[in-house]
Amino acid sequence: MNHRFAPPSSVPPSPWVSLVGLIITACLAVDVAKAADTPIDFANQVRPILSDACFACHGPDEASREADLRLDDPDSALAMIEPGDAESSELYQRLLESDSERVMPPPGSGKKLDAEQIAILKQWIEQGAEFEQHWAFTSPTRPEIPEVENAAWVKNPIDAFVVSKLDAESLSLSPLAGAVTLVRRLSLDLTGLPPEPEFVAEWAGRLNQDRENAYRDLVSQLLQSNHYGEHWGRFWLDAARYADSDGYEKDKPREAWFYRDWVVQSLNQDRPYNDFIIRQIAGDLLPDATQADHVATGFLRNSMVNEEGGADPEQFRMEAMFDRMDAIGKSILGLTIQCGQCHSHKYDPLQQDEYYGMFAFLNNTHDAIIPVYTDEELGRRKEVLSQIEELENEIKRAIPDWQDQLLAWAEATSRRSEPTWSVTELSFLDRSLGGSKFLPQGDGSYLCQSYAPTNFNPEGTGTFHGQRLSGLQLELLTHSNLPRSGPGRSVEGTWALSELTAEVYLSGTPEQKHSIKFKRALADRSPETADLKSRYDNKQEAKRTIGGIEFAIDGDDKTAWTNEVDSPLSNIPQTAWFEFEQPIEIPDGQHATVVVHLAQRHGGWNSDDNQTFNIGRFRVSLTGDAIPEFDPLPSDVKAILQKDPSQWNAEQSASVFSHWRTTIDQAKPWNEKIAAAWLNHPTGTTQLTLAERGQQRTTSRLVRGNFLSPAGEISPHVPEFLHELPETDQPPRLQFARWLAADDSPTTARSIVNRIWQAYFGVGLVETSDDLGTQSAPPSHPELLDFLAVELVDSGWSLKHLHRLIVGSATYQQSSNVTSELARLDPYNRLLARGARFRVPAETVRDITLAASGLLNPSLGGPSVYPPAPAFLFTPPVSYGPKVWDVAEDASRYRRALYTFRFRSVPYPMLENFDAVPGNLSCVRRSMSNTPMQALTSLNEPMFLECSIALAAKTIRERQASSDAERLDFIFRRCVAREATADEQGVLQTYLDRQRGRIDSGELTAETILSAGSLLDLEGLEENELAAWSLVCRVILNLDETITRE
Amino acid sequence: MRDSNKPVAAGTGRDPAMARRWFLKDCGVGLGAIAAAGLMAEESAAASAADPLAMRQPHFPAKAKNVIYLFMAGAPSHLELFDYKPQLAKFDGTLPPAELLKGYRAAFIDPNSKLLGPRFKFSRHGKCGAEISEILPHTAKVADELTIVKSLTTDAFNHAPAQIMMNTGSQLFGKPSLGSWTLYGLGSESKDLPGFVVFSSGQKGPSGGNSNWGSGYLPTVYSGVQLRSVGDPVLYLSNPPGVDKRAQRDSLDAITALNQQRLSATGDPEIATRISSYEMAYRMQASAPELMDIASESQKTLDLYGVDPDKPSFAKNCLLARRLVERGVRFVQLFHEAWDQHGNLVGGLKTNCQDTDQACAALVQDLKQRGMLEDTLVIWGGEFGRTPMVQGGGNDGRDHHPNAFTMWMAGGGMKPGTTLGESDEFGFNVTADRVHVRDLHATILNQLGFDHTRLSVKFQGLDQRLTGVEPARVVKEILA
Repeated sequence: MNHRFAPPSSVPPSPWVSLVGLIITACLAVDVAKAADTPIDFANQVRPILSDACFACHGPDEASREADLRLDDPDSALAMIEPGDAESSELYQRLLESDSERVMPPPGSGKKLDAEQIAILKQWIEQGAEFEQHWAFTSPTRPEIPEVENAAWVKNPIDAFVVSKLDAESLSLSPLAGAVTLVRRLSLDLTGLPPEPEFVAEWAGRLNQDRENAYRDLVSQLLQSNHYGEHWGRFWLDAARYADSDGYEKDKPREAWFYRDWVVQSLNQDRPYNDFIIRQIAGDLLPDATQADHVATGFLRNSMVNEEGGADPEQFRMEAMFDRMDAIGKSILGLTIQCGQCHSHKYDPLQQDEYYGMFAFLNNTHDAIIPVYTDEELGRRKEVLSQIEELENEIKRAIPDWQDQLLAWAEATSRRSEPTWSVTELSFLDRSLGGSKFLPQGDGSYLCQSYAPTNFNPEGTGTFHGQRLSGLQLELLTHSNLPRSGPGRSVEGTWALSELTAEVYLSGTPEQKHSIKFKRALADRSPETADLKSRYDNKQEAKRTIGGIEFAIDGDDKTAWTNEVDSPLSNIPQTAWFEFEQPIEIPDGQHATVVVHLAQRHGGWNSDDNQTFNIGRFRVSLTGDAIPEFDPLPSDVKAILQKDPSQWNAEQSASVFSHWRTTIDQAKPWNEKIAAAWLNHPTGTTQLTLAERGQQRTTSRLVRGNFLSPAGEISPHVPEFLHELPETDQPPRLQFARWLAADDSPTTARSIVNRIWQAYFGVGLVETSDDLGTQSAPPSHPELLDFLAVELVDSGWSLKHLHRLIVGSATYQQSSNVTSELARLDPYNRLLARGARFRVPAETVRDITLAASGLLNPSLGGPSVYPPAPAFLFTPPVSYGPKVWDVAEDASRYRRALYTFRFRSVPYPMLENFDAVPGNLSCVRRSMSNTPMQALTSLNEPMFLECSIALAAKTIRERQASSDAERLDFIFRRCVAREATADEQGVLQTYLDRQRGRIDSGELTAETILSAGSLLDLEGLEENELAAWSLVCRVILNLDETITRE
Repeated sequence: MRDSNKPVAAGTGRDPAMARRWFLKDCGVGLGAIAAAGLMAEESAAASAADPLAMRQPHFPAKAKNVIYLFMAGAPSHLELFDYKPQLAKFDGTLPPAELLKGYRAAFIDPNSKLLGPRFKFSRHGKCGAEISEILPHTAKVADELTIVKSLTTDAFNHAPAQIMMNTGSQLFGKPSLGSWTLYGLGSESKDLPGFVVFSSGQKGPSGGNSNWGSGYLPTVYSGVQLRSVGDPVLYLSNPPGVDKRAQRDSLDAITALNQQRLSATGDPEIATRISSYEMAYRMQASAPELMDIASESQKTLDLYGVDPDKPSFAKNCLLARRLVERGVRFVQLFHEAWDQHGNLVGGLKTNCQDTDQACAALVQDLKQRGMLEDTLVIWGGEFGRTPMVQGGGNDGRDHHPNAFTMWMAGGGMKPGTTLGESDEFGFNVTADRVHVRDLHATILNQLGFDHTRLSVKFQGLDQRLTGVEPARVVKEILA
């Protein structure tokens, strides 16, 4: 075994941290236990043993509890313990028992206590067997700042806590890092970008002159950069399991980047952390909720969505609910709560009912996809709307008696006779649905969910009782679960009905099926004929078009009636009437059975992408009455007209007016202008959000988490072991949101400060940053953790305050160099006697490369982008379905990695290789690996090459008349901020000379080397020289230090 | 174990001992390995290595060292391939008994659809007399090597969750896969190839995507690495355009020299790991193409598998699987996503069998001839079965069915020439020797030397394991 390569790391990878923590704790415990008179600490020494070895059978979970004994509850446990006398305590005796039937833990449990652990329990009993609440379940209070002897070390209270612990170990802080190192460290830590060399020079100079003031100013400047929010937003987006696609088999692209940008903006404006949480859980329920407040609820909507054929929407809605609970547990509460899905927690006092109690707060939502607009678009939208308002006012001015005319029209219209429609319940032939699910909505309408084939012809069968059957009504209805509320399922909420056909047979003569011939069809809206958008290309030659209602009955599948009008007016309900050419007479005692086909063949070729053009919600009704000559009214207008005009509110009056004017010849010029104005309305984009559901869902405890096994209704409530839920009359979800972010929450503040600490030091004060519960690793500095948590709350939950505090400490500013002595004593740097040194996160690796090369496009926000990736990844059989990845060749190619499009099933390979997470579930600790795959990536991936060439070009241009040494230094500073040492210069010069020689001799071809830079402006640069320098840049971009924060 | 923390000596870093850290994905000291050592401390003191991929002893002597898992994604019809149901033929065209459908949910069809008799003929094969379909003539020839289990059952009936269930023991994404657990438990024998390799063939990628071979809460070092059978087998394996082997070596030497200088300056052992990662990458650039070069195989072998060396195919992946196992790769998984016959049951099955049957049988034969079958466990199967009820009007399709389906295994200490389990007369429910997915997992782990209840890792305060919290059994009846 080669031990030289087995040194300790300063960065424990995530899943292992708990274990390492236990090992360390155990070591400390042993030392303490040896000194018999040292008081045993229940929380740090006893509870972890009981929790790990005993709670599974003698803990909070009633279902698995043995012998009615709870060792997590003093009242129950004391039956087994004689405080002060271990020998007389059954608990202790059972540990020593030789009888395998009686010894605890039982041999079959897989748990075994060693002598040291038994000694701790013994000593604890001897000392009085004091129980304490688990530290994380009591709200943090401001601890006393320890007095330390060497006060010179202390820059702020953080240092007092750290130094006092170091004192006990006879250690001290390391010297402060040098100015250049600190400037790079702060830049990388606060903005995720390396500092430009000029920035380093300026600030290193100022730091060397006036350290304290300059440092404070530098931190302030970096915290004010918009790149701060981009960098720290990434951590939250991991916890929020952000991705740009649905996951599961289809893994279709989704639009969620408004949420991503909301996170970044919130951090940049230092939105208080409690407010940050509240808006993400219930922003939509706040009084006067803004678009941004709705966008914030995208947090819960980041769950995966399964639309594979045959998937039951309710099953996967429940999966998404479990995922939301898990995300809240990990990211906000810092607790493992997902066990509660199936049973009470084995270790923490979380009952299964309490899990579903929290679940109940969240259960009453729709999965909405709303239109959202950028600031610029919002401006345009406002303009369009006011233009329309002005045009309508012009109509009013031009028709002075418009009110009288309108009222007369309204009265006449409401009095005209319409058919009586009877709503037809349909049963659907499964084979025609292709795995789609049509969910009855209780009003005779059906909501289409799950798989959305781009070409299908669902068949529904219903019955009609009456004497005569003469017409059919089809209503297309909106629903919160549809994109932009529908009524269609396309990304624009639109639909296209290629053909409506029907057959009828009578109950007396079921074998005689009549195909219905429609005489005519009428609709409340018939758009102009238009070509299909490219999204719906089906790769067939036959041209398909969309347009008015006549297309629904023209016997041609290539023409379709649509609601697509390219404005928000697409997203309103429609109604159509279809008149039978021959009414069907139904003999007495018989009824008619109607089979309706809704052919929808206008989608694109790829059902695994967003190419559906299907109907989202519809209702079919039948009548025996005559079909009128006039078109059906829009349903909202019809509803308003049923009321007396004196009852109309302003909005309703406006709706009636907007329809009425379309019936008036005199208004035609304005109507045309208004129609044209709507076309200027911005399309905007969409965002997955929560929408409150009108009808309350019942929440039940689910036996073993199975949604088909509900067992008892559960009303919203919070776990008893956490803080109380104040009584308010707010909507339950908002109440829950405020509870999660309450000042007295024992874990909310601790959880976030611990994770921020983790980002700075590679490991949290509690290593298990996803779990502060009883099974967590004890905090290395419990008082410091509480101090930071209280500071956060007392600062009004200002995260920037917390950042200032941490980076202002001497602890943070230490040199990260490590002596072998210190590495041996404290391999994981838990005592913090040195600064942290670790490879930067995946996104920062990419950003450093882009920034160093000068290619970085620093623009903020917007849709996700497609930097180069191998095409085969997005093509079957590597991906399930064909995915679109049009490699960017414009400036978006060089945007920060935060903006790289994230397919859950096909993670961007460069980022995946450096441990980025796919967003399948909430992650608050990434693993941190160091692999040959990473080496292959940074050596050979095209973007690294392109950046190498760009950096070489920049070097040659900006250091034209310089020596090789000066150029090398230029590159070195761009990558690692510091100057190169003479030895480093030597290695690089030798390398450069050698490559130059090989290029000049023709062994290497400059043109080929430079081919990776085909998009770059390399005008006027000598090829051979550029190629040699590109290879040098490649070497420097590959250095450990380049991708490491020292 | 911490007193060897000395800075790395200068040199090229091409120390042969470094090979031990091939594919080391963990940081520096390899906390993963420490954790693994801790977890298995009672069994294996040898696991104290800093290398998370160092070879480790399992709980008890293993029957199987390697696994080749032929994942028939999309879910093949047990009723047309292995589980012959004459009664289903008899009742073809009638509705299934109502009591069978109580509480039954189907993905696409109305469960109350007519029964559809088996669409292919079956006959008995080998000394064992296993009943195998006419469209699997090659598999039939190796019947005496197979352990056929007709009583599999799973919890999920949609593809993505069911594939994730079959590969990770849970329908929820984010759990470690069987291959990851295997690598975590045993380490990797291969010093210059990944320990867990995945190929994909067929019409599409698997529905469960790369979560099928993800490492979940285990370190990323244990996740499967997807290889391609054409072009660069590993992403970014080839040098960039214009960079020849010598330039690459020069570059590595320069990077290593500079990294070593930094190591001396900072004392951070992580840099030593990075140096070795680069060396491993460099070596892999040579070893991976060698692996893929199947032209070195005899024509006889190529014919046995039916491989055209120039074309990507399932058959080629089978041959590569053998080559990988020969080179010490622990776990090879081949996904062939093609078996979702909602329609075109007859045509689709014929095509799929043509594409896979010969190569599956060839793999078993080839491993046997080379003496590798003994410690290589071959697994064949999909994520669920198909309904005895018809889907579609043309009597030519079946829907998803989780209650009963068939898988086979070979080698790795399985009892050859055995058939276990029975489903009812329609192949609807298991009637004897039920094997749940977690029982299958427990059995596979058992063959690899693990007590499935003890192969665990602490995550989020719990001892997590492949077989989860529900009881699981090792299916002893099929063990040799």
